[in-house]
Amino acid sequence: MSQPIARVVVVGRDAAGWLSAFALQRAFGRTGLTVQVIELPSQLSAADVYAALPTLSNLHRLLGLDENEVVSACAGVYVQGQRFSSWSRSKPDFMHAYDTQGVVINHVDFIQYWVKARAEGLAVDLEDFCLGAAAAKQNRYVLSKDTTEAFSNAAHGIHLNARTYVRLLKQCALKTGVVSTVGQIASVNRSGASIQSVVLSDGQIVDGDLFIDASGVEAVLIGAMPEAPFESWRHWFGADRIMVASGKRLTPLPAFSQISAYSNGWIGLYPLQNRTGMKCVYDSSRQSDERTAEEIGLTTGMRIESEVVVAPLQSGARARPWVGNCIAIGESAVVLESLDAAYLHVIQLGLSRLIAFFPVEADALVEADAYNADIAAHVRNIRDFQIAHYKLNQRFGEPVWDRARDMNIPDSLVYKLNLFAHRGRVALYDHESFEIENWNAILIGHGLMPRTYDPLADALPRAEQIGKFKGMLHFIAEEVRTMPSLDAHLEIHAPYTGAGAK
Amino acid sequence: MNKPLEIVVVGGGTAGWMSAAALAGVLTRQQVSVRLVESDEIGTVGVGEATLPQMKEFNDYVGIIESDMMRKTNASFKLGIEFVDWGNKGASYIHPFGAHGKPTGSIAFHHQWVRALQAGRSYNIEDFSYAIVAARRNKFEFPAGDQTAVNSTYSYAYHFDATLYARFLRDFAEARGARRTEGKVVDVALHPESGDIASIKLQSGESITGDLFIDCSGFRGLLIGRDPKNGYEDWSRWLPCDTALAVPCARAGQFAPHTRSTAREAGWQWRIPLQSRTGNGYVFSSAFISEDAAAAALMENLDGAPLGDPRLIRFKSGRRLKSWRGNCLSIGLASGFLEPLESTSIYLVQMAIVNLLKLFPRNPIDPILISEFNRLVDLEYERVRDFLILHYYVNTRDDSEFWKYCRNMDVPDSLREKIALFVHRGHIEKYKDGLFAPPSWLSVFLGQGLRPKHYDRLADNMEMSAMIEGLDTVRRSIRERVQAMPDHDAFVRDYCPAAVSDRPHAMMGAHA
Repeated sequence: MSQPIARVVVVGRDAAGWLSAFALQRAFGRTGLTVQVIELPSQLSAADVYAALPTLSNLHRLLGLDENEVVSACAGVYVQGQRFSSWSRSKPDFMHAYDTQGVVINHVDFIQYWVKARAEGLAVDLEDFCLGAAAAKQNRYVLSKDTTEAFSNAAHGIHLNARTYVRLLKQCALKTGVVSTVGQIASVNRSGASIQSVVLSDGQIVDGDLFIDASGVEAVLIGAMPEAPFESWRHWFGADRIMVASGKRLTPLPAFSQISAYSNGWIGLYPLQNRTGMKCVYDSSRQSDERTAEEIGLTTGMRIESEVVVAPLQSGARARPWVGNCIAIGESAVVLESLDAAYLHVIQLGLSRLIAFFPVEADALVEADAYNADIAAHVRNIRDFQIAHYKLNQRFGEPVWDRARDMNIPDSLVYKLNLFAHRGRVALYDHESFEIENWNAILIGHGLMPRTYDPLADALPRAEQIGKFKGMLHFIAEEVRTMPSLDAHLEIHAPYTGAGAK
Repeated sequence: MNKPLEIVVVGGGTAGWMSAAALAGVLTRQQVSVRLVESDEIGTVGVGEATLPQMKEFNDYVGIIESDMMRKTNASFKLGIEFVDWGNKGASYIHPFGAHGKPTGSIAFHHQWVRALQAGRSYNIEDFSYAIVAARRNKFEFPAGDQTAVNSTYSYAYHFDATLYARFLRDFAEARGARRTEGKVVDVALHPESGDIASIKLQSGESITGDLFIDCSGFRGLLIGRDPKNGYEDWSRWLPCDTALAVPCARAGQFAPHTRSTAREAGWQWRIPLQSRTGNGYVFSSAFISEDAAAAALMENLDGAPLGDPRLIRFKSGRRLKSWRGNCLSIGLASGFLEPLESTSIYLVQMAIVNLLKLFPRNPIDPILISEFNRLVDLEYERVRDFLILHYYVNTRDDSEFWKYCRNMDVPDSLREKIALFVHRGHIEKYKDGLFAPPSWLSVFLGQGLRPKHYDRLADNMEMSAMIEGLDTVRRSIRERVQAMPDHDAFVRDYCPAAVSDRPHAMMGAHA
């Protein structure tokens, strides 16, 4: 009889390493799996912040983590979305909220009526019909309740202090039975595409049935495999460097991340309960690090209160994240920009698919092809979502942005933009992380106004349509009025009490 | 407001009248004018007498009242399809419209079932499907609205007389402003520049102009097939059946709430129970059996006295390269044919209509809407194709050359991978939307004789005793609840007794 996988070795660090070990231990520990971590030195600085999409809650549920406790421990903040600022010189900021816009009327999507109404002179933005966006703009926390469920899908993303989160994950993982050794990989014993064991710098040999490469861009295991070449996406993402710093706590706490474009890239602000995470993604061939640090201050109007840490950035993906008995999770497989809270999402995606396709036979890893195809499709769609931000920018007269606007983009995105520009309809492919409402929010936000709308929308008499629109706006205003502020909600449910607390 | 889009539907079978009814039912007269051209000389195929649960959504969308439709089409209810002698001779399984058991978290139910079998327990997967247990006992009632109730775990479709259905839709469409013109299309005039269709010419000499032409002319593809570049992708190497013989017979025996498909020497035979009669047909590959021999086999295997002679229908499995090109869109057999093994014909018509309504064009028609329509339609055809091939490919029948051919044929990679993952670990891919959902794949994988070697390891997290108790509880609650259901026969007589006496032309279906 074939043998099940008995031992998983995670070679990794930080969120990718500890989420992998913890998740596999939680999912399969009771079924006889042992998980050992070879812990590589952390690459996080004190200033790092993790920004997560609402889907992270699913992973936390699997891990048995109480989200309020996580947020509280990590000086975390719940956010309703991301505000994009200055991606156009002439258009106002917009909110990519984690929520739907309006409701379907007579089988026709709300956006169709909105496009029609805009053409007829309506001044109200699409995001004004989005409960999550309205709440975000007023720094409120959306409580799901029966009255809003029919109208809204509002969900929360979170910001977490990265080092604290990793420490928490590590504690929990070890408590659940994960075994850990601090070390460095000296060499890897392979037999064909299969890893037999890894040798640590102290001479210790660690063998296993399955090896998880969660080492980040270093890709200590998969990086050497000829079957998994790294494909660069530099032609779509011009930035090659990332700068991380920290500023003062914002009061009141914004219920969103702020993503501001500037002449040479973008700057993200990620509010926490005790400080504000800052991140700048830029092209170092056009601007020095010193100048970039100044730019953070100028663009955000906030002072840098921490040391500034710089790291190289090389966007791209491996052709196959699973080769032989080695599976790359996180940046060892895919490096995306940290736009759209993609960093943790890619880790989570790899883990959720790995758990779904966890090999049932140690000697026949037939799941690899299905896993690779699934991840590749998901990642392509996230990549397209990110490229859309750059492609649709309206910052004229700046080389970085002019180039982005003129660049060739993948056919899959060309098609999506064309259909949307004509009709306000999103061609949703299989394996999309972002749903129609997310695409609607960013495409409309960046100014891709559909030329036409669904003729079926004409069946709704104008007066009735105006009545429905007014009803929705009134409903949103009333609902938001009764919501607690983010500060008040956190104080009751997830207060941070550590150093630098308010 | 723009002027109404002028739509001309060519062909008055199920596809044509479904299109006209949906367009007239959903859109206003300010939005469209719908004109349907059909010839009394040309019969319709009309074999699509069994449907899928999506039909109900279509009726609701278009505004058709179910009981009214059922009364006027001699309809009955359908909880699934029974496959007899398929995977191997002597076996029978049902592909139900509903789930098996309850999932645990993210783990599909069948992993528990496989685990129980491997632990030496004996469980019949059919006992965990409410729809199957009810179908096997000839029971029917509507699913419960309470999502936690065991009798909410299924849906249903219809069997009906497709010719009466087309007539019903005609009345419906005409009452909502669709105009019918009797006539035969003899010529098509094109715009000299765009190559679009400017007008069609009828035998009477009348010329009909339009903005959008919907070709529902069946296999002939009168309009869509005119373009030599828009050929037909032939799938007959995977789906070798190319002929059907259809004959109705008198109703006899139990009034089953399911379609039956019995595998035969060179294909399969359908049995569709209607209120007034039973529809039958033998779908076969002419390369493996003669028409005479097929006809003899069909007539030998009827429940009741035949009501006529078998009628011949020829077809070729495959699809039009582009269902929609320029201002000509094809729906139904003109756009593709997949044999009726899984009752997908009417679904594919419905799917095309719904996509047309989602992507409804203005004049002039933007090419991006056409691309999106074709993308969505192609996806559906390919998925249904793979599902159908599965029934043929996975068999252990040694009694005929046809089944040996099917077993050894080269199948699409997409299907080969699905089978491999199921056999290895019971994995079934879940699509975002469209056909078929995992419970359908599960029932056919298992029914055709495949058994997963392993189950999802997550299922091991459950205590064995708790899992067994859960299985026993589900099985018992299904059995008990089904006991209390009314008979299908009684339910139909009460809810939608046939309002149409069975006139000869209706009995015969159409005259091809």
